[in-house]
Amino acid sequence: MATRTKWLNATLMLFLALALVVTGCGGNSSSDNSKSGSSSGGSSGGSSNSQSGGSGSSGSSDEQITLRIVSPTVVENPEGEVETKYAEEYMKLHPNVKIEFIGVPMNEVYAKIITMATGRDMPDIFINSPEFYARAYEMGLTEDLNTLLGEEFVNGFHPATLREAVIDGQLQYAPFFTIPTGLLYRKDWFEEEGLSVPETWDEFVAAAQKLTKDTDGDGNVDRWGFAMVGSKNGSGGSRFIPIMRTFGAAELVKNENGEWVTQFDTPEAAQAFQLYGDLVNKYEVVPPGPFQTSYAEAVSLMASEKTAMMVTGPHTIGAVLKQNPSLEGKLAGAPLPHAPGKDTVSVLGMLGFSIYNGSKHKEVAADYLKFILSKENQLEWNKVTGRFPSRLDALEDPQIQSPTLSGFMQAMDFAFQVPDVPFYADVQVAAAEGYQSVIGKQAGAEEAAKRAAEAVNQLLESLK
Amino acid sequence: MKKSYAYSSSWSGYWFILPALLTMLVLIAYPLLYGVYISGFNTNLLNKWDFVGLKYYIQILSDTEFLNKIWITLKYAALVVAGNFVVGMSLALLLNREIKFRLLFRAILILPWLFPDVVVALLWKWLYNPLYGLFNYLLQSMHLIKTPIEWLDSQHFALFGVAIASVWKGYPLVMIMLLAGLQSISKDLYEAAEIDGCNKWQLFRHITIPGLMPVTLVVLILETVWWFKHFTIVWLLTAGGPINVTSVVSIDIYRTAFQSFQFGRASAMAVIVFVICLLMSYVYRRLLETNDQ
Repeated sequence: MATRTKWLNATLMLFLALALVVTGCGGNSSSDNSKSGSSSGGSSGGSSNSQSGGSGSSGSSDEQITLRIVSPTVVENPEGEVETKYAEEYMKLHPNVKIEFIGVPMNEVYAKIITMATGRDMPDIFINSPEFYARAYEMGLTEDLNTLLGEEFVNGFHPATLREAVIDGQLQYAPFFTIPTGLLYRKDWFEEEGLSVPETWDEFVAAAQKLTKDTDGDGNVDRWGFAMVGSKNGSGGSRFIPIMRTFGAAELVKNENGEWVTQFDTPEAAQAFQLYGDLVNKYEVVPPGPFQTSYAEAVSLMASEKTAMMVTGPHTIGAVLKQNPSLEGKLAGAPLPHAPGKDTVSVLGMLGFSIYNGSKHKEVAADYLKFILSKENQLEWNKVTGRFPSRLDALEDPQIQSPTLSGFMQAMDFAFQVPDVPFYADVQVAAAEGYQSVIGKQAGAEEAAKRAAEAVNQLLESLK
Repeated sequence: MKKSYAYSSSWSGYWFILPALLTMLVLIAYPLLYGVYISGFNTNLLNKWDFVGLKYYIQILSDTEFLNKIWITLKYAALVVAGNFVVGMSLALLLNREIKFRLLFRAILILPWLFPDVVVALLWKWLYNPLYGLFNYLLQSMHLIKTPIEWLDSQHFALFGVAIASVWKGYPLVMIMLLAGLQSISKDLYEAAEIDGCNKWQLFRHITIPGLMPVTLVVLILETVWWFKHFTIVWLLTAGGPINVTSVVSIDIYRTAFQSFQFGRASAMAVIVFVICLLMSYVYRRLLETNDQ
């Protein structure tokens, strides 16, 4: 009897252990920060299709479908409210469809997508961009959207957006919005000081110096001319690279043999690094702690009226106004300043949505994408967030031509195509290390530029 | 009857350890071996598996940047372990006395350990913020500084700043383990030594420290390995900056795996870190066991 009890106990413990192991190893198909649109429990009777841009194909009406979407904008403010609203409206129109967001901050979203891919847990729809689409294509994650969306729909995108969304003739993602990089500035302060919008970096420095002041008379500077994003990540690097291009040096460019080469080790690049160092150390127009200032911190500096200018896209207007609505009408955009004899430069900063080629609901996913890309929804997105539509019909609307946004519209014409190399994020970090070493006085501008070039050349070597 | 009793007795031991063994195999051994396997490939873990053998190990070990990061990691781990020991030991000695509200103090002093690493990092990021942080606010209020100090932007301070935040998070565990060790040392030894005329320092040196040696060995190994591999607090506070001053090896592995998507190379780096941790624990055991003898 005692032996039998022992065997029984041992068997029970073995089963318990196996159950624990299986539970511990079990994957959760809904990952962190998952957000559902509200339940679609209501009837669809009487619902209007006025905002539907889709073909209405959402599977058979009896089939319950869950669409999982990885998106960085759903966790941002005010973008998340609009994106959630689209999902709710779509679910009202299609009660058999449930949309589930997996929100991940922008700086971490590609790591998340790769992790989900290797864990065989890909969502139906995921964010994509010129910086990532080559990698996603290489990993075999993307469905060709030419077929799913149809030629007529695809032709409705701005041609500049399609240039950075196609590989081998296959549309990798549906461009959702662009945020052309330019100079966001306090229009009211410029008017008070009698300043005109800077067109060269010398004019920019002069304006920044004039706007850096002690406004409350306590002897300490409490307002600065420029909110520099000096962090060592994509936020910082992606802002420095267009600035460097305005000096005439490209982080990556194809030579006559069609091979990628870097221009980090040119005098023009060194000038860009020097500018960053001087803004902090010589002209002192940047608030203390630039290395700790990533995008979110810089937005807070603008919203709390500590800084007058920021290199960013039109989306920052929405983010700043969300924190400080009293700044309505006081912000404006302009193309980036440039070095004498050079041109201004911008980068589209485009994001779009891909459909996973292993998704079981590709048609429904495509229909949802068409829905959010309808003219009405694109204009609403722009109105709330400041991000520019990717669709031609929305771009031609008078709403986009407002004085606040016109400077960013101009910048779009000078957008360069982001090099489609899988390691572009590393190039941005190499740039960030360069400007941090100049600001931190660890290296001179030439030395910093040389080190950045070495880092990029090593990355290019690894491609071979 | 006797034979079957002996037979079932030895087998039941195996049954008892089987659940833990299975868990270890699945959750520890398998990922470890899979990581070693991946390190021999140039792979994206999906559709690309190009065998490269030991190429990544050779590249990494001959890369001065990587060796520099190992050095930074050693410095960081040394600072944090030393800080945890000093703070943990001091508080353990205090809590080992018969003081009022001892239980309350113990509960409060354990609190930092209960916070997730992310919360600790964001808390300290705010404290260190040059414009809005509490440290600068207090120093400026007391007129000790005129302009804000850029704590984490300073190449001289950043590593210490990150280490201080880590010590704040990590000292409670050391404190609790050393307190348990202190309470296991017989009071008779102290009484006998006092009778023989030992002062406080001699008591500490000849009774407390040797009595704590078994616990110290365990704590040192765990602490060193944990903080050598630590990622969260450093990543959130400085992301390895300014420049590369706090660029510990775990950040390098993270960037290589999840920003460059070079999983093979990242796995090779992780294997090297594993070997380093094994070596450190071996060295500690030999040193401390020799001292013990």
